[in-house]
Amino acid sequence: MVESKEYDVLVIGGGIAGEEAALNLANIGYKVILVEKDLSIGGKMIHLSKVFPTLDCGACITTPKVSETARHPNIEIFTFSEVQDIEKHAENDFSATLIENPRYVTDDCTGCQICEEKCPVVVEDQYQWNLVGRKAVYVPFSIANPRIAVIDIENCSLCGLCEKVCPANAIDFSQVEKKSTIKIRSIIIATGFELFDPLLIPRYGYGKFKNVVTSMQMERQLVPTRPFNNVLRPMDGKMPDNIAYVLCAGSRDETVGNPICSQVCCMYSVKQAQLLMGALPMADVTIYYINIRAFGKGFCEFFQQAKGMGIEFIKGKAGLIKEKENGNLIILYEDIQQGNVKEAEHDLVVLSVGMLPNTDFTEIFKNSRVEQDLYNYVNKVDELCCPAKTNIDGVFVAGTSTGPLDIPDSILSAGAASAEAAGYLNGGVK
Amino acid sequence: MRNRIGVYICYCGSNISDYVDCEKVKDIAAETTDVILSKTTMFACSDSAQNEMIEDIKNQKLDAIVVASCSPKLHLNTFRNVAQRAGLNQYNYVQVNIREQCSWAHSNTPPQATEKAIKLVKAGIARAKQSQELTPMAIPSTNSVLVVGAGVAGMRAAIELAKMGTEVFIIEREYFVGGRAAQWNELFTTNETGREVVSRLYNTIMEANNITLFTGADIDSKTGSVGNFDVKLRIRPRHVKPDCKLDWGKFKKAVEVCPVEFDDPFNFGLTKQKAIYKNFPSEFPEIPTIDVEHCTKCGKCVDICDKIDLDQKEEMLNINVGAVLLTTGSSPYEPKTGEFGYKEIENVVTLQQLKRLIELNEYDLIFKGKKIKNIAYVYCVGSRQVDGENKYCSRYCCTSAIHTAIMVKEKYKTINNFHFTRGIRTYGKQEALYHKASKQGDIFLQSFEDSPTEVYKENGHTVVKIKDILTADKELEVNTDLVVLVTGMIPRKNDSINNILKVPIGRDKFYNEIHPKLRPVETVIDGVLIAGACQAPLNITESVKSSLSAAVKVNSLISKGKIELEPTLAQIDKLLCNWCDKCADVCPYSAIVKEVKNGKMFAVVHEANCKGCGMCLPVCPSNAIQLIGYTDIEIESMIEALID
Repeated sequence: MVESKEYDVLVIGGGIAGEEAALNLANIGYKVILVEKDLSIGGKMIHLSKVFPTLDCGACITTPKVSETARHPNIEIFTFSEVQDIEKHAENDFSATLIENPRYVTDDCTGCQICEEKCPVVVEDQYQWNLVGRKAVYVPFSIANPRIAVIDIENCSLCGLCEKVCPANAIDFSQVEKKSTIKIRSIIIATGFELFDPLLIPRYGYGKFKNVVTSMQMERQLVPTRPFNNVLRPMDGKMPDNIAYVLCAGSRDETVGNPICSQVCCMYSVKQAQLLMGALPMADVTIYYINIRAFGKGFCEFFQQAKGMGIEFIKGKAGLIKEKENGNLIILYEDIQQGNVKEAEHDLVVLSVGMLPNTDFTEIFKNSRVEQDLYNYVNKVDELCCPAKTNIDGVFVAGTSTGPLDIPDSILSAGAASAEAAGYLNGGVK
Repeated sequence: MRNRIGVYICYCGSNISDYVDCEKVKDIAAETTDVILSKTTMFACSDSAQNEMIEDIKNQKLDAIVVASCSPKLHLNTFRNVAQRAGLNQYNYVQVNIREQCSWAHSNTPPQATEKAIKLVKAGIARAKQSQELTPMAIPSTNSVLVVGAGVAGMRAAIELAKMGTEVFIIEREYFVGGRAAQWNELFTTNETGREVVSRLYNTIMEANNITLFTGADIDSKTGSVGNFDVKLRIRPRHVKPDCKLDWGKFKKAVEVCPVEFDDPFNFGLTKQKAIYKNFPSEFPEIPTIDVEHCTKCGKCVDICDKIDLDQKEEMLNINVGAVLLTTGSSPYEPKTGEFGYKEIENVVTLQQLKRLIELNEYDLIFKGKKIKNIAYVYCVGSRQVDGENKYCSRYCCTSAIHTAIMVKEKYKTINNFHFTRGIRTYGKQEALYHKASKQGDIFLQSFEDSPTEVYKENGHTVVKIKDILTADKELEVNTDLVVLVTGMIPRKNDSINNILKVPIGRDKFYNEIHPKLRPVETVIDGVLIAGACQAPLNITESVKSSLSAAVKVNSLISKGKIELEPTLAQIDKLLCNWCDKCADVCPYSAIVKEVKNGKMFAVVHEANCKGCGMCLPVCPSNAIQLIGYTDIEIESMIEALID
């Protein structure tokens, strides 16, 4: 029998919170295993353009953390992998099954992307939020870590062209799922969030009207690694000149089962609007809101700056979106300030979708259960004093697994989780 | 002289390349003598670009590299690390900032931005040519920390640091611990009281062997630097002996006989207090204290209790710590007289006063003898000011006001709550409270930015008037029995700490971190960290998260026994120096001392104290001082390249 590998801490999730927690613990000297379900670490943040309220580019902040995590001598990373059957045997004594999914590409891959050129299969690129296509063999995105290719086996036609052209002989169709057991002393859950699916609000027409996009699709059009060289509306590739943001799409809305505020949409919409003023100087941008939640350090000033730039803010929730023949959209909304229902025409509508819990953490424990709160996030059993403590001693929670949080708050939450884990590993108060 | 230099021009996605012609900068750099290779890159900081640089350094045998990208504040260490991993001395790396200084500063004039970038890159290459191989200095560090402020944030950081094995000194300026939280009753979200939270933390601190708590204590002075701060603490007398086992009967009598009476700050002036006091039974430490400012030393209390000692003297204590963590917290904004009727209309109070009132009134809410039926909450007092100084949102007040309104309704049943808001900001899960308040019948109104809510007296009634957005611009007036000003947060007054530690303060007057995402709890003063509401308005959970983050950073900084410091120090040429003491005079860190050898006097630099600030260089009349890493020859060659 193979002996199982031992680590001090298992961090589940390699987004900004998971990285921060892993780095903090590794810097103290603990051995960390970081398991990421996706093909690259970096989480959602690595896909963002400039981030509020400082407007420094998301990649500039996150890539150094990604690369520091990747080469830290005390951190071992498993991407495209999962953990299951976590069992607690005693304090400081957990075991888990590590599952490494096959990429069908070995570590010899240099990321040269010659295989991508030859692959005949084109499918929607999930890392560009389906705005463009990608091949069945592909490097996930340009700043991915690890930057190696993967074969999307479900869509692959098994033609074998990639295997023929690969200069590094890195294609290996014989790879299979690998299972191993690991022993750990403590766990940090940093599995992050999911985006609200706007198909659940049919009256906004997402999926039916081409020029209704999500805020993540707009975000991708504003990043340096954007799919097009400018902001284009999907239906006809025209540069939009009258853009609307519909806030609280899937947040503060009991009818879709999410009564709470997502805490980030106001600010990211205000940010995108500011970036749009730069990308499309002639365009009008209107934000339909209920309340602008500019609460954090520097947020209120950032919101005032947006107003000063000429972005229009209308207090009123969008009720219904209709499509005209030319692809333009009519928004029906209640103009609260004037007390009547109005219509307005826009040529692109962005739905500012909210955050929902990623509930993966509920299924990975074997004989115990990580408690959930009212909104299905990880329940914090001592929120005021130990904001990272879960119902299982030795298991802590970081980032948006605790609830909606922006980037600075996620980083602080990860700091708290790493501190509590370090205290736990060191045996508590003496 | 370095003569195999590699140059990398970063696009920074499009942050730089949108305005600076990076290809042109690259081509011109390539033509410079001793430049072996010149490249552009999409993101120089990405892992793949870093690896490419390492390969280049190895394959092309580069002896220095220049990266023209963002501010060195962001990525100096990233690329120094690249150099190191490639086997190059990290000080043979030079960063040129063409983002903040070119593309962002000159986005209106791209050709000029490019021209400037070319010059800066040339200067960077010139500096790289002259760059020396240097070794960072390692200085020993003590694994102990001084936490300033024993509120929830400070106590919580202290406990976690102690668990991680760091010795903690925690000081509190007041005579009791708990900070603001001790003043609050039930808290959102757990419905624990502030006091319960404080007593839980206090008891853990008492159990820990490696935490020492001083109340009534301040920092008197500080010398030394990260890893080794010598801090002198001033511990003011409590005037009650520490072995006092509190006898409540005796204490009550002592309070009774005390002839002094003044406004009680614990209850925000709603009640009076005596010079000998303890605010509530389970307040810690469980020893009363005497307010020396008000005490007349009449001695009446001493007659009742022999544990009272009016002659106790201030004590000074020297401690040695590796780091200092500031958790000095916040204060509620104090409205100006007349601001929404404050101090002019008798029934205008602050939210903090209302919270104390709720605790002081068991059955009916009575204020100044009158039973309260209608309460008007006026939001954003001291926050989001259009004309005033405080432009920021205080973050916690919407939730706090609504939480209080719910408590009011639950405790006194018949009271009506009217909220005069500027748009409710119950972010995240706090939204549930807003929903609950709306359901219980609270009325929410919202004013326009340009026409604030007004509070005035009319026919003996206190009236609150609003132009309300939510009812389409209607002017509404509410007769109220109590107006509650929902005041924002301001940082606590800490002038002496600010003078001693020199932590940077932001436009909002809170302490400033280095970067909200990269280094959110560190300051530009090495070894001095900040956490909690001294940094920005935060609620308790958020304060604790930030203080725990600071705890883990402190521990990893000082627990390894040594800290690496920059080798950029002043270096004095003994032969040139004629000891005039001008350098010692201007040195802000007292790092320069006189030495005498064979009858010759000269200046010597104390390396652990020198911060490499360069203040001593221009005052030296014999040009005997060089700053390592910024030598005259390096700077002069840069200037030559710039004016070439």
